[in-house]
Amino acid sequence: MLETININFWYGAFHALKDISMKIERNTVTAFIGPSGCGKSTFLRLFNRMNDLIPDTHLTGECLIDGKNIYSKTVDVTGLRKNVGMVFQKPNPFPKTIYDNVAYGLRVDGESNRGLIARRVEESLKSAALWDEVKDKLKKSAFELSGGQQQRLCIARALAISPSVILMDEPASALDPVSTSKIEDLIHTLKRDYTIVIVTHNMQQAARISDRTGFFMLGELIEFNDTKKVFLNPDREETQNYITGRFG
Amino acid sequence: MKHAEKELASLKDEIGQMWRLVLSQLEKAKRAYLDSDVELAREIASREKRVNSFELKIDSDCENCIALYNPVAIDLRLVLSMMKISIMLERIGDFADAIAKYIIRESGAAADDTLKAELRVEAMLEAVTVMLADSYAALDTENTKLSGRILAQDEVVDEIYHDAVPVLAEAIRSGRISAEYGLKTMLIIRKIERIGDHCSNIVEEIVFYIDAKVLKHSKSAD
Amino acid sequence: MNKQIRQNIAFTVFRLLSLAVVGILFWILGFITYKGIGVISWQFLTTAPTDGMTAGGIFPAIVGTLCLIAGSAAVAFPLGILSAIYTSEYAGDGKVVRFIRIMTNNLAGIPSIVFGLFGMSLFVNTMGFGDSIIAGSLTLGLLTMPLVIRTTEEALKAIPDTFRQGSYALGASKLQTVSRIVLPAAFPNIITGLILSVGRISGETAPILFTVAAYFLPQLPDSIYSQVMALPYHLYVIAVSGTDLEATRPMAYGTALVLIAIVLIINVSASIIRKKLSKRYA
Repeated sequence: MLETININFWYGAFHALKDISMKIERNTVTAFIGPSGCGKSTFLRLFNRMNDLIPDTHLTGECLIDGKNIYSKTVDVTGLRKNVGMVFQKPNPFPKTIYDNVAYGLRVDGESNRGLIARRVEESLKSAALWDEVKDKLKKSAFELSGGQQQRLCIARALAISPSVILMDEPASALDPVSTSKIEDLIHTLKRDYTIVIVTHNMQQAARISDRTGFFMLGELIEFNDTKKVFLNPDREETQNYITGRFG
Repeated sequence: MKHAEKELASLKDEIGQMWRLVLSQLEKAKRAYLDSDVELAREIASREKRVNSFELKIDSDCENCIALYNPVAIDLRLVLSMMKISIMLERIGDFADAIAKYIIRESGAAADDTLKAELRVEAMLEAVTVMLADSYAALDTENTKLSGRILAQDEVVDEIYHDAVPVLAEAIRSGRISAEYGLKTMLIIRKIERIGDHCSNIVEEIVFYIDAKVLKHSKSAD
Repeated sequence: MNKQIRQNIAFTVFRLLSLAVVGILFWILGFITYKGIGVISWQFLTTAPTDGMTAGGIFPAIVGTLCLIAGSAAVAFPLGILSAIYTSEYAGDGKVVRFIRIMTNNLAGIPSIVFGLFGMSLFVNTMGFGDSIIAGSLTLGLLTMPLVIRTTEEALKAIPDTFRQGSYALGASKLQTVSRIVLPAAFPNIITGLILSVGRISGETAPILFTVAAYFLPQLPDSIYSQVMALPYHLYVIAVSGTDLEATRPMAYGTALVLIAIVLIINVSASIIRKKLSKRYA
């Protein structure tokens, strides 16, 4: 379970996240929506500490995964990232073979048992619904795949290290509708075994795939509710204005 | 105003036109019944087609709205309720038409003003007309305060309907009217009662559309 | 005058100017080839000069140049690549790094004769290597280092950040990310940069003048402490200070041709290697 308590975050002097508290249940899909620059991606990246890579940032508040504060001094960041996988906006397979892409996370973790790696690669590609398309060309470059396949490869890559949470930052925004619907189907299936948090600009996508939806605006969490409630009868007028297109 | 908002506004405008048409059909039916005015009844029957075409138009407009604009939240509730309301308005139009046909067909039968008074069909027609007018006002002003009054009217209608059965049975048994005329009259009364039910349903749709919004306004204030 | 005509005139001027550049290049190449091709023979390439450098071949000079290329690469590549990795991947963008970067650029602007003098005083005299391959290689290595650092940095910067983020997100450390993702991906461009910098040092004369080059030494080096002949210096010698300048003129052109050929081979192989490597990853 993910939980944040009074999270505040600054880029330099810019107050990007304002006092955000939220609880995300296990094995659910949670979508974050909101206008560009509202802080939803920043918030997503708190959960695997990707914001650590950006210089001159500052955080207050607590961010808990299964009750443990992931920002406490004793936390091993690489270990955290093995538990919290991430899929990015643009498919970013490494310039390696399909097989090596999926095996990468295991190898950097020090796994050297070839049989085990081969098994995990196959399982992950199957979970990502990509196995049938690539099983005959595992030794080919990942760049030979289409954009949609590359994104599913990136999902398989994240699954290979058996995380419990998967963060997705606009995972389908660079894809065509057919690839997008494959990713969405996949998210539906993955929900059984993983907790998924997804940032999307596509509100219909949020409506289709998520159980809960959070609406962010100007660094604040305006509303966090069941997706059905948000799209049929939101509690807050700001949410309604945004999702019905009467923004501003 | 955004493009999608214009579409929704024109949808609302259309349903208003349909509403006024159905309301005038119902009022005319009431007058034609009271005065046994066959000419007016023919006029009602001839305008029934316009009601039907309104329903088809609104139905396809709602489909387009959903297909093209992906309405959500209050917009979605508006489109969904308009779709259902247009179906119910069309049914009410059908009933007005049935009343008109009854008037035309039974014009030969001697108008029995005593029986009419006993059956209280006039009051019934008056009640459903008010219900329809009030529910339109509720939609137009986006105000659900009228809903209680409208639903109360429906109980009056139901009461008159239930009272009509023994009155008609007695009239048939005593030979004042033919059994056939009595049964046909019963069917018409039944149809007027159904108009009341439809009006109640329309009010429920309006509450579905509006009330969330009202609720939301009160919440976002704090 | 309408737009179309003005555009045609402008493009014609551009085209002529670029043709002029290529033309000059081909003119030089053609001139040297024409003058030098006559002396090129198997014997010219494989024997030592004889008769006071008026006859024989240039074999020791070719070997000497190859030794210097290898030696300076051994000095410049590891140091240059490692410091480029440090500045572009590890050091962030602080004041120290900016200072290092400015200094690197200044180093690249220092005339090569200054490197020669520096090499002579440090490696030849102070460190006591004498005129030797090692002294020359160190000097040439220092000369190329800024170029190596810069091209390596460029190659590393060209690797999209999304690769690094993807790697970190899988729990990789910085060292793992650099060694397993960034370096392999940047490899084709790094290699190209390295080969091109080698091409550049093979033609340098000034830095080797005081540190390694022998005026006349018709034998092959036996250790890194030997002096050697080198093509650019040999060319200089037989062109301006030989025993019989008129008689050796064709040999000078021949030597120039061999030097140009070596540089050309290096550059062409750079682009072939890059194409091959990029294909492997694309």
